[in-house]
Amino acid sequence: MSYQQPHSRISVLSTSSVSSGEHLSPAASSTRFSLPSIPTTPNALARPSSSAARPSIYDRPLTKPRPDVSAAAFTFLLSELVQYTQKRVSGINDLERRLNTLGYRIGSRVLELMAWRAEGASKTPKREIRFLPALMSVHTQVWRAVFGKPADGIEKSVENADEYMIIDNDPLIERYISVPKDMSQLSCSSFTAGIVEAVLDGLGFPARVTAHNTPTTQFPSRTTILIKLEKSVLEREEVLK
Amino acid sequence: MPSFALMSHHLFLLSPSDTPLYSLTHYSTKPTSTVASPLSSNLPNWSTSAFAGTLTALSGAGSSAHQTASGTVRMGGGQDRHVIQMIANASLDAIEDIMKTQNAMFLKSVDKFNEWTISAFITPGNMKFVLLHEGKNDDGIKSFFTDVWELYVKTMLNPFHTAHTPIKSLVFDARVRASAKKNL
Repeated sequence: MSYQQPHSRISVLSTSSVSSGEHLSPAASSTRFSLPSIPTTPNALARPSSSAARPSIYDRPLTKPRPDVSAAAFTFLLSELVQYTQKRVSGINDLERRLNTLGYRIGSRVLELMAWRAEGASKTPKREIRFLPALMSVHTQVWRAVFGKPADGIEKSVENADEYMIIDNDPLIERYISVPKDMSQLSCSSFTAGIVEAVLDGLGFPARVTAHNTPTTQFPSRTTILIKLEKSVLEREEVLK
Repeated sequence: MPSFALMSHHLFLLSPSDTPLYSLTHYSTKPTSTVASPLSSNLPNWSTSAFAGTLTALSGAGSSAHQTASGTVRMGGGQDRHVIQMIANASLDAIEDIMKTQNAMFLKSVDKFNEWTISAFITPGNMKFVLLHEGKNDDGIKSFFTDVWELYVKTMLNPFHTAHTPIKSLVFDARVRASAKKNL
C-alpha cells in the first residue's frame, strides 16, 4: 500500500502539469520544466493571477541571503530523506548508492553557486585545474558552504596513490542519526560523499567517493570520505607537473 | 565592407557531455572593421549548387545578404545553421586542449575559422559557453559571458533542471538576448 501512493501521486502530478501546460500556453508547453512562473500544480492553476506576479528564479539574487539555515530544519529534511530512501531499497549498498545520488544533485549545484559567489565579481574568474588545490577547496570551501565549518583533515593513502581521504570528526549529517546494530556498515555520510563526487566530477577529476565510519573514542561519529580517483586524473597530474 | 556591418553572433551552451542545451543567434550593427577574406572574392557564385550554403560558408564569404533565386533575401555565406554548428563543434577540440592547462574561465579567441573567431567560457562545473563572432570585442564578450553565467547558475539551481535538460525558459532567453543586445 505504501508503495502504491507515491506512484499514483506522481501520475496525477505529471498529467496535470501536461494539461496545464497545454491549456495555458500551447506554444510553450515545453517550458514547464524550468519556468516557475508557469503554474504546474493544480493549486497554482486555481489562482492564475498570483502566478503572473510571482518573481521567476531569474529575479532572485544569487548572493548569500542569510548566514545559516536552521540545523533543526536541515536535520528534519535529511531524516525524511533517509526514511524515504530506505523504504525503496533492498540493502545497505543500495541505500548508500541512492544517498550518494541525491548528494550528487546537491554537489553539482553547490559547485557552481560557490564558484559564482567567489569569482562572479572577479575580472578574471578562475577554475581549479590541479587536483590538490581542488581537494583543499573541497575540504574548506565546500564544507563551509554546506556545513558551515571546514572538514577536520585530509589524508593521502599510503598504500594507494589514487586514494585520498577527507575526515570529519563530527559530521552534521550524522549528529542525530543512530544507525541500528544490524546495519552497522551503513554511513549516511554517503550523502556527503555524493556531494564531494559531484564537485570533483564537475572540476574534471572523476572519482568514486564513498563514506566510511571510522569512530575513535574521542569522536564516536568520526567519518572518512574516501576518494578513489580515476586513472586519467593521475595521468593528467603527471603531465601538468 | 560598409562601416556598419551586420555582425552575427552565435552562442551555444553545451553540457559537460557536449549536449547542446541552448543556442542563440544575435545580429548587431555595431561599427566594426572586418577584413574581407581574399578567398571569397575569388570564388564563383555557387548559388546553383545544392551545396551553395556550405561552400560559400566554408570559403568565408563575408556576411552580406544575398539575393537567392526565390527572391527572398537570406543571409549569405557563413550564416547556415549546420555550418555554424559544425564550426562550433570543431572548436571544442581546441577548447578542451586549452582548458586543461589554463585556469581562466573566459578563453578569448580560442579558435579561428575563416571570418569566425571562437571565444568560450568554461564554468567550474564544466559547462561550456561557445560564441562564434566576427569582430573583435573582448570586453563586451566577457561581460556577456558573465551575464550568461549568472543566468545559467540560476537555471541550474532549479531542482527540475539537470545537466542534460535543454534550457527552454522564456525568461532565460529574454535575459540572454537583452545582454547580447547590450554587450555584443
